[in-house]
Amino acid sequence: MHIFEGFLPSPWWQLWFVFSIPVIFFGMYRLNKLVSEKRELLPLLAVAGAFIFVLSSLKMPSVTGSSSHPTGTGMAAILFGPAIAAVLSLIVLLYQAIFLAHGGLTTLGANVASMGIIGPVFAYVIYKAGMKANINFYVVVFLATAFADWATYVVTATQLALAFPAEVGGVAASLKGFLLVFATTQVPLAIMEGALTALIFKYVIQVKSDALVELNVITESVLNKLKGAGQ
Amino acid sequence: MTNILDDYALVSPLRYRNNWLKIAIVGFGVLVGVSSQSFIPPFAIALCMSFTTVHFGKTSLKFYLTILSAPAVFVLLSVIIIAFFFGSGTEIFGFNIFSYHLGVNTGGLEMALLVFSRTLSGMSCLFFLALTTPMVELFSVLKATKLPDSFIEISMMMYRYIFVFLEVAWGIKYAQTVRLGYKDWRTSLTSLAMLSTTLFIRSWEQGEKIFISMSARCYDGKLIFFEEKRPIRANELVLTCTYFAVVLALWYLTRINSIF
Repeated sequence: MHIFEGFLPSPWWQLWFVFSIPVIFFGMYRLNKLVSEKRELLPLLAVAGAFIFVLSSLKMPSVTGSSSHPTGTGMAAILFGPAIAAVLSLIVLLYQAIFLAHGGLTTLGANVASMGIIGPVFAYVIYKAGMKANINFYVVVFLATAFADWATYVVTATQLALAFPAEVGGVAASLKGFLLVFATTQVPLAIMEGALTALIFKYVIQVKSDALVELNVITESVLNKLKGAGQ
Repeated sequence: MTNILDDYALVSPLRYRNNWLKIAIVGFGVLVGVSSQSFIPPFAIALCMSFTTVHFGKTSLKFYLTILSAPAVFVLLSVIIIAFFFGSGTEIFGFNIFSYHLGVNTGGLEMALLVFSRTLSGMSCLFFLALTTPMVELFSVLKATKLPDSFIEISMMMYRYIFVFLEVAWGIKYAQTVRLGYKDWRTSLTSLAMLSTTLFIRSWEQGEKIFISMSARCYDGKLIFFEEKRPIRANELVLTCTYFAVVLALWYLTRINSIF
């Protein structure tokens, strides 16, 4: 969910930049280290970013009949880890602001915080925990993406509520309002996106499983188990 | 499908103007718009930027209004919530649902109008940049920042591959549509998953291929582009300064009328 340009008033958009910039710098540091060690990763990361952009510009059939976009940042977090996912989503969000006028420049900090940092961190933590607990790979992917989406949605609602507290009841009351209104689209959407990402991983494992092993997404033994179950 | 505004920027007559001037105009509009306390300066900015985009940038008015309505759903929903929850003053209208009273008062309505105008001005500034400046021109600006090379390299390569993959994605989507791949909700989900997978595999293979081809051409982590020098013309400078002065004057005059 993008917050549009000019929507957040003065102290808040700066504060979200203060939150996001250190994380982005850490991500860039990690990226630089990774790229100087393995130079062949640079084009790969670039095409991965392009993939996220194209994925998020595709329209997804939504339950209510309106169209929505899958975000793809959950997938990036599972593939590359949250630090690099944050940098990639910064570039994607910047391009979306400039190409498609989705989101904005002053709200970039807030959008990066919700979609590029907190969402992917949720996805990554759930993914790692689920794989450790030996739950089925597809279920873990589904849960990680869906919860990353919900985390993004709750953070966006919080950002709006903090900036516009209600006269009666303060932040809590307006948070309730924003959560209720956006729930109509975001709750079913997250389930759809989880299912879509799980399906994508299913096809990728069938066709090009070595890519996932190379990125340390899954281990050889899990892969063999999944392939064995599929046959 | 998606309107890639970059296509319009490439043919815009304003493309060959100084990039820094355009960025200064956009930055100024965005910052003044977001910090104004009244709805008048943002509306003035929105009007000026829209006029510039449509008149000088030769964008068709109909197309401009269509893209401007894109963020409308999000903005309207959020503005309605603000109108109901925010501010004090006399109540304009209200109603009861489930023994819960909801009402709009003057403070809330004023706030909603202000937020709406700020968003409108911000969007029109972004559209000005999007419709007159192709990304290729902005890379020189990006290079002037002291961000790490790897970040800039990735952004540039990503830009190139966005178009490659969009073409692939649209081709596959048409092929799927004519084969009734999107006839109902279930098939659409499967089709979309297949499309995304093909895209992922394509991008992976493409990533390996460009690395080989670029290494073969002595790529050492730095792409170098030719940058044209475009001095700012006098009339552009005068027009920009007049615009800045008018907006700043409006901002100064309306700043006392604060609702915070």
